[in-house]
Amino acid sequence: MGENQVISTEDTPTIQKVIAVMWPSFLVAGMETIVFFTLFDPQYVFMDYDVTRTGAYSIGFFLFWGFAILPCVLTMYFARPCKPCAVYKDELEPQDK
Amino acid sequence: MNEIPQTAPAKATDTETVEQDLYQKRKKIYPREVHGIFAAMRVAGVAGLLGFYYLMPWILWDGRQAILFDLPERKFYILGMVFWPQDFIYLTLLLVVAALSLFFFTALAGRLWCGYACPQTVWTEAFLWIERKVEGSRQKQMKRDQRSMDLEKFSKKFLKHFLWLAFALFTGFTFVGYFTPIRELAAAIPTLDFGGWEAFWILFYGFATYGNAGWLREQVCIYMCPYARFQSAMFDKNTLIISYDEKRGEPRGARKKSADPQALGLGSCVDCSICVQVCPTGIDIRDGLQYQCIGCAACIDACDEVMDKMGYAKGLIKYTTQNRLDGDHTSIFRPRIILYASILLAIVVGTIIGIINRSPIDLDIIRDRNSLFRETGIGTIENVYTLKVINKDVVDHAYNLSVDGIEGMKLHIQKDRIFAESGAVIELPVSIEMDPDKLTQRTTEIFFKLETIDADMSITEEARFLGPLPMN
Repeated sequence: MGENQVISTEDTPTIQKVIAVMWPSFLVAGMETIVFFTLFDPQYVFMDYDVTRTGAYSIGFFLFWGFAILPCVLTMYFARPCKPCAVYKDELEPQDK
Repeated sequence: MNEIPQTAPAKATDTETVEQDLYQKRKKIYPREVHGIFAAMRVAGVAGLLGFYYLMPWILWDGRQAILFDLPERKFYILGMVFWPQDFIYLTLLLVVAALSLFFFTALAGRLWCGYACPQTVWTEAFLWIERKVEGSRQKQMKRDQRSMDLEKFSKKFLKHFLWLAFALFTGFTFVGYFTPIRELAAAIPTLDFGGWEAFWILFYGFATYGNAGWLREQVCIYMCPYARFQSAMFDKNTLIISYDEKRGEPRGARKKSADPQALGLGSCVDCSICVQVCPTGIDIRDGLQYQCIGCAACIDACDEVMDKMGYAKGLIKYTTQNRLDGDHTSIFRPRIILYASILLAIVVGTIIGIINRSPIDLDIIRDRNSLFRETGIGTIENVYTLKVINKDVVDHAYNLSVDGIEGMKLHIQKDRIFAESGAVIELPVSIEMDPDKLTQRTTEIFFKLETIDADMSITEEARFLGPLPMN
């Protein structure tokens, strides 16, 4: 009973974990790309490089995606359940019995 | 925890467990083919939407592609209109309209979007159709998948994936065709000589289509779709939902067609589990409203067919509302609906008026940053500006420029004629010369007025004229 109540990320299907990292970051990167390149013409942003506008949009998008993946991975990492420390264990045990 | 009560299947149907548990490994769902009024509507929707998607880039308007989001040129052509990055507000409004429409239709009729119009549903439906054409019915597919690999299985799978990939790549090609002139792309097909990024995006979008519609399917709805999670906030007791009539159906049980259910103490549900077999997300609608239900109505068609065969009334599973299930009155016009509808209408009307009255000229004024003002040596002072003239109109224009605000300003334009082709941005360095004695303050507001030669359109922009501190 006690074990089943804890919904840990260990029980989450892998596909859900992959989606939880790749998908929100993809959506955010899309929005960031639109807003960023509406404000700034890529020809000025990438002035020093030989990149077409289409190339600049694409590179920009993947940079944004990469940067957004990072916090998603970190969130997933920190959302892993921690072992309860000894103080709480003592309090919980009598109820379990 | 892992034991979900399974429905006892009747004879002649298979016993595949299709229900899913978050804690279990995913089982492939083989939706059974379904016929009926809602299936026909969905097929019509799929055909219409896919037809629109694949044909639209080929349609011309005034000799150019009717819908083209020309990213390299930063111009967006929609029929006769050209939009610019400066028109970002309309994109924002469009998204607001889309969101509000979703709220409105969800409150009114539940998950209409999911069942009939969502790209995920539409492409999954197309991929399922290909799968059935190649691999045969649900039973055949399941039997084949349990078998170890042999020549027949391999050739069927190979053909299926080949067709899926070809269809997905064509989808990616069409997608890129909305951003790069599709006729140029098509001309490059024989040699595969696409631009590097174009080729990349065709593959990327094609792969995403293949993955989402071929492999992920209902998992996209369950794990990726935010709408599925917050839809309950938009539902109320008057929202159209797909529901099983528990009062009529229970207790469920298998029986002969000739048997009298009342004598057996049974409800109308014959527990054939066909409603579960047809479900693309693998749920049992008889367990009540679930967030995995995409409202495709496949179970309604399937159950109606069974009810017909049994000689019972249709509608054991049907579109209904919570109120009607409870025996109450269902009202369509309720505050929530009226509120959503009026906001939606206001924004749509506002957007249309805004687009119609959109100024086809745009003028940006950039002051020379290097100096506040310049002394000319003949007693006057000069301010330098760079004007950016943007012709958003569909025809070329020549313009007149004038300036107003202080008496005695002289405008010097370093071009004989201000001319901008349709869609062009031209830079125009100008200077204003003036007698500093006529200035009453250091900073004076002035107004540049740009008008077309035939004077039917004009735009006025504010700028500042800087001078020395006035002596008096």
